[in-house]
Amino acid sequence: MPAVGRIKIRMPHTISRGQVVPVDVLVTHPMETGLRKTKDGKVIPAYFINGVDIFYGGDRITHCDWTIAVSANPFMTFYLKADKAAPLRIVYKDNKGGVYQETVQINPR
Amino acid sequence: MEQKGKDLALSRRAFLKTGGAACAMFLVAGSLPSLVKPAFGAPKEESITDVLRRQFGGKQVSQSHVDIKAPIIAENGAVVPITIVSDLPMRSDDYVKRINVYAEGNAEPFVAGIDLTPANGKAEFALRIKMRKTANVRVVLETSKGKLYGAARSVKVTIGGCGG
Amino acid sequence: MSRFSRAFVLLACAGVLTAGAWKYSFAGEEAAPRIKEYTPNISSQEYEKRYNAVYGKSTEKMAEEGNPADFMLDDGKDLFGKAEGSAGKSCASCHGANGEKLKGVAATFPKYDPAINGINTVALQINRCRQEHMGAAPLKYETYDQLALELYVKSLSNGVPIKVSIDGPAKPFYEAGKAYYYKRHGQFNFSCAICHVKYAGHMMRANLLSSNRHHADHWPAYRLDWGAAGSFQKRFRGCNKNVRQEVLPFQCETYRDLELYLTYQANGLPIQVPGFKM
Repeated sequence: MPAVGRIKIRMPHTISRGQVVPVDVLVTHPMETGLRKTKDGKVIPAYFINGVDIFYGGDRITHCDWTIAVSANPFMTFYLKADKAAPLRIVYKDNKGGVYQETVQINPR
Repeated sequence: MEQKGKDLALSRRAFLKTGGAACAMFLVAGSLPSLVKPAFGAPKEESITDVLRRQFGGKQVSQSHVDIKAPIIAENGAVVPITIVSDLPMRSDDYVKRINVYAEGNAEPFVAGIDLTPANGKAEFALRIKMRKTANVRVVLETSKGKLYGAARSVKVTIGGCGG
Repeated sequence: MSRFSRAFVLLACAGVLTAGAWKYSFAGEEAAPRIKEYTPNISSQEYEKRYNAVYGKSTEKMAEEGNPADFMLDDGKDLFGKAEGSAGKSCASCHGANGEKLKGVAATFPKYDPAINGINTVALQINRCRQEHMGAAPLKYETYDQLALELYVKSLSNGVPIKVSIDGPAKPFYEAGKAYYYKRHGQFNFSCAICHVKYAGHMMRANLLSSNRHHADHWPAYRLDWGAAGSFQKRFRGCNKNVRQEVLPFQCETYRDLELYLTYQANGLPIQVPGFKM
């Protein structure tokens, strides 16, 4: 079965100091709305990512509040001003208490 | 305003739903009144104007400095890629604090809120959202100085069709 | 003319007609099915233009940004190296640790195989390998593991132009696939060719009908409509359902012939898996 919470981060290979770079992040998650039903009429319970935190070094640079209306296998692109060599950590939290995170090191030249 | 015209027109979906509910009531009401109730147990839908009034208290939203990139026709309403672009500054004393995304046709129009900081360097964000029907995607940006900027773009969502 | 002679003439006419019809049906059974081939209404350049006008590059952009099937590809690689079955072998034991010996092989599939006297597909070949050489149970079609393995094997030929042969013994199977493609099916009485050859590039309500030239080069693909990856044959079933036709089982003879026909249409295009479709 496809695992939930696998994260893939894509960004430019070489980054110069102070450059504003796009960061693409993909995470696998069903993002169930809680509005759908199975064939025998049972409601599939809601199961979705409701919060995303992005840390760069020690600071939280971005936070997202998501609802059920974000697509399955959520994808996002955000921008980052790469002015220091520090880890970039992306943390997803879902409504059932799951926490999924991934870290990449950013080394601007 | 374009918004008003939309509300007045009864869409095909809404017509079928209300018509269907009325028929169901007509048929069932006489013999089994208790069965009618669940049909009306669906969550109450909030209109976009109510949501905006609740969140921003009737504050003026300037329709400038924001652009939404979205497909004209989304073949699949479950995945509509949108990109929000703004030319507003991201300085430490004046930056975009939050991006709010709404899909007007959804039962719950609020889709996502994104808190940005000057460390982002650029007020741009891309996301894929679910849309229940053809409607406007609306974005409201809040700046650190308390100003509101917004934009809206219509996306056609086709239902049925060749997906299989 | 008297009434009698008029009736006689009518009777004679009817007699000739029935005889003709009988002769026609008899000849139809004997000869190969006659297919009235369509020519596309628009050129391929015009098709590209219309596609871009309707959908733009949104799907291509989404595919480039992040394809959820990439995770499946990683899983497929793990499965390729995992030993299973009574022989204690994995795919990698014969085909090389990173599948070196399979590079470009998937570009020649589907192809005729005398051992099964039919068309062999990648999915079928994987299961035959498992049974004959590994002593393992065949994987159920369209399960996650099966798709992952198929995806990985196909990805080894990424960028290699499709080169499917329809000569010699494969010819009758190709013709059978073509006959299915041109035969009308289901409650709606559509043939595949009506949409994808004759009216390709036209709108059917809000859908742009796709051209069959590009149908075969990217499967298994992640499809937004499914929210998951699936195989080419799953898509056949989707089309069959749309014209209200009964669906056929995976890897049945008809679907394999059809896969050959469609892959031949894509000859020369490079394989690009995992695909990303609307």
